[in-house]
Amino acid sequence: MKKIVRRISLAILTVMMVVLTPQAVSAVEETRVAINVQVPEDWTNPCVWAWDTDGNNAFSAWPGGEMEANPSNDGWYYIWLPSWATHVIVNANEGSVQTDELILDGTNAWITITADGAEISYDAMTEGETPAYVEKFTIYAKVDETWENPSLWAWLAPDGTNAFESWPGAVIKAGETGWYSVKAPIWVNSIIINANEGTVQTADITIDPADVWVTVQADGTFDFSYTDPDQAAVPNITVSIMAPADWATPNLWAWSAPDGTNVYTTWPGEPLAEGENGWLTKEIPGWVNSIIVNGNEGTVQTTDIAIDTGVNTWIVVTGPDAFEVYYEEPVIEASAEVEETPVVVEEPVQEEVEVMEETPESSSSNLLLYIVGGVIVVALIAVAVVVINKKRNNK
Amino acid sequence: MKKIISLILLIVLVAGMQTGCGSTPQPDASGPITITIWHDKEEAVVTVLQKYLDTLEPEIQVVLENKSNLTEALKMVGNNPSAAPDMYFFAHDKIGVYAEMGILAPITDLIPEEELSLYMENTIVAATYKETIYQLPIYYETLLFIYNRLYMSDEVVPKTTEELYAYMEEKTRGGHYGFVEQHSTPYYAAGWINGYGGSILDADGEPKLNSEETIEALTYHKKFVDLMPGETEYATVNTLFREGMAHSTIAGPWLIPTIRDAGIDVGVAAMPIIDDTELPISPYMGVQGIQVLKYAAENKTEAVKSVLTLFLQEEIQVELALASGCAPAKEACYELDSIMSDEVVMAMKETAEHAIPMPNVPELDVMWTVVGNLLTDINMRGEDVSESATKAQNEALQLIENMQ
Repeated sequence: MKKIVRRISLAILTVMMVVLTPQAVSAVEETRVAINVQVPEDWTNPCVWAWDTDGNNAFSAWPGGEMEANPSNDGWYYIWLPSWATHVIVNANEGSVQTDELILDGTNAWITITADGAEISYDAMTEGETPAYVEKFTIYAKVDETWENPSLWAWLAPDGTNAFESWPGAVIKAGETGWYSVKAPIWVNSIIINANEGTVQTADITIDPADVWVTVQADGTFDFSYTDPDQAAVPNITVSIMAPADWATPNLWAWSAPDGTNVYTTWPGEPLAEGENGWLTKEIPGWVNSIIVNGNEGTVQTTDIAIDTGVNTWIVVTGPDAFEVYYEEPVIEASAEVEETPVVVEEPVQEEVEVMEETPESSSSNLLLYIVGGVIVVALIAVAVVVINKKRNNK
Repeated sequence: MKKIISLILLIVLVAGMQTGCGSTPQPDASGPITITIWHDKEEAVVTVLQKYLDTLEPEIQVVLENKSNLTEALKMVGNNPSAAPDMYFFAHDKIGVYAEMGILAPITDLIPEEELSLYMENTIVAATYKETIYQLPIYYETLLFIYNRLYMSDEVVPKTTEELYAYMEEKTRGGHYGFVEQHSTPYYAAGWINGYGGSILDADGEPKLNSEETIEALTYHKKFVDLMPGETEYATVNTLFREGMAHSTIAGPWLIPTIRDAGIDVGVAAMPIIDDTELPISPYMGVQGIQVLKYAAENKTEAVKSVLTLFLQEEIQVELALASGCAPAKEACYELDSIMSDEVVMAMKETAEHAIPMPNVPELDVMWTVVGNLLTDINMRGEDVSESATKAQNEALQLIENMQ
């Protein structure tokens, strides 16, 4: 019998392993609708700005999502919008021309724009199907000034499927921030930035399908980041600290949340230097948004202190959980010395470690017991006194 | 004199009535018996439990009371029948503490022992302290290897830790990470230590922080840590994964709903096998179940038995799995289509084959802080592994000695 049970178990396990090798847990998929637009001839690079009745925007910034030319229908462009984004404005020429607000019904739509205005139809006005929705991400590139008319070549490795029809690929458009940008389908994992009609280029760049900023030098060498380097280039700031007197050699530990990038490689960070007006100071990168002040070789510390990025900060620490953050130097009275605090051994925050704390229930229950006990004791004493007095009287 | 005695009796009676006003009503032949169960569970779990418990009415009324800081509250009032619950629904790892306090009743005093043969063996191991079973398991949890299929296709999911390391080296660039985990949190690091044959604490409550296997595990783990962000507390790791900045992670099943809501196509896979030991990363397993307090077992025996008998039903475990991704403790549940088609639950089942039940000895209480400091020393201060492990071992021994 045991053998049979084992065999059954083995069979179940085998089925399980087949089931489990690796599995996808489906994500929430958004319903999208195709918005097809025919624009006047003098409208270039049409875009759509879209939102819902609650004011939720489909795109992060004006002029909104870029439309793509429908290759089977001259003069028609298309974009796939979330079905909830039923309020749209079609615009072009970098947002300098636009329609009025158009209200759609959340299904595929065809919009014809003329000098007289826009007309909406829910009957197909183009031939064939609208090209299928493909999620895209943006590649930003900053190239050496000798690289003219940069383009993007993109493909899926190792099978070699190309995103664009022919070399040198899609033209990368110049933006206001100095970055060229172009979109690529989300299945792309390899790119080449090239320029001068494909005569200069980078080596193959393996990337994740996520917005990426690529910096290219004249010789084709490159670096890339999944965060905008210009936003990261925040000037250093000075953090000024007033720490408790018994925190010997205060140190600063600093990082960026939530990405977890640390300023210092090892705990407890670096010591603060003597500054003016009794402050201890330290210059740190401007992107820091989280710090810990610690002392006594890291054995006493504050909790995580959130600070604004890019601005000088003053922090008065009076204990591990007690601190005030200022963005202008506060006036500290000479008599207002920071009190000593008890040394607390560092205990990293853990879900598993529970804090000893008396519960209200147990507290009230104990109190009740004390009251009842007290009443009984008083009653017994009273009885004893009465009995003794009676005995005396009887004598 | 009679008046005086009457007065005393009256006072004592009033006092007795007052002390009887705790959270646990006494048995009363004339009305329903109330059973109070403390728990710390989410709403989805409570809804399922309450639905089944309501079927015991009108004879037995079961009150599920969400208790913050449940474990410490039990330490305070576990011996006080007027303030303690009759049962509590919690992970198995505190069983040793309460068994040593003498407040728990063996579960086998209340249900036939043969019923427990239908449960996954490791859940019963978890429920056992000093050869006595104190918990009726309901479901269990383990950590899972979770990946973002946009970046990591099913075909390239690392099967070994060396494959994972190679993947991390290739993909950790530009602010994205091939793999992130709470590397300096003991609960997460334990999987690596266990997979190396090491241990934080053995079944006898003996710390093993400076064993050869634990030191090898911590040394090997460090090279992975070097390819992860420095700060890896719960919020950081979850945010990195949820915002598409990390390809893969080791996390609990509770993370999956928020990741799904963020639109990420999540894959779950078996834990990578550690090349040196040929054992998978073996996280701790937490078994959630019902424990009975001794006073209730002795004074509300039949009502307690009824509640436990209800919890023997497979249907409750299946419904909990479907409602909240809880992996059932009873083997038979895994033969049902509804469970076999749930990827997360089945992934936990597979991981549980190698997961180590979290020690349930009282000594574990002091280990979290010690191991947390050890991991900080090694992973964040860059201190020598052997020296740090020896220091932590001595500290753990001292703290355990202080407990006794």
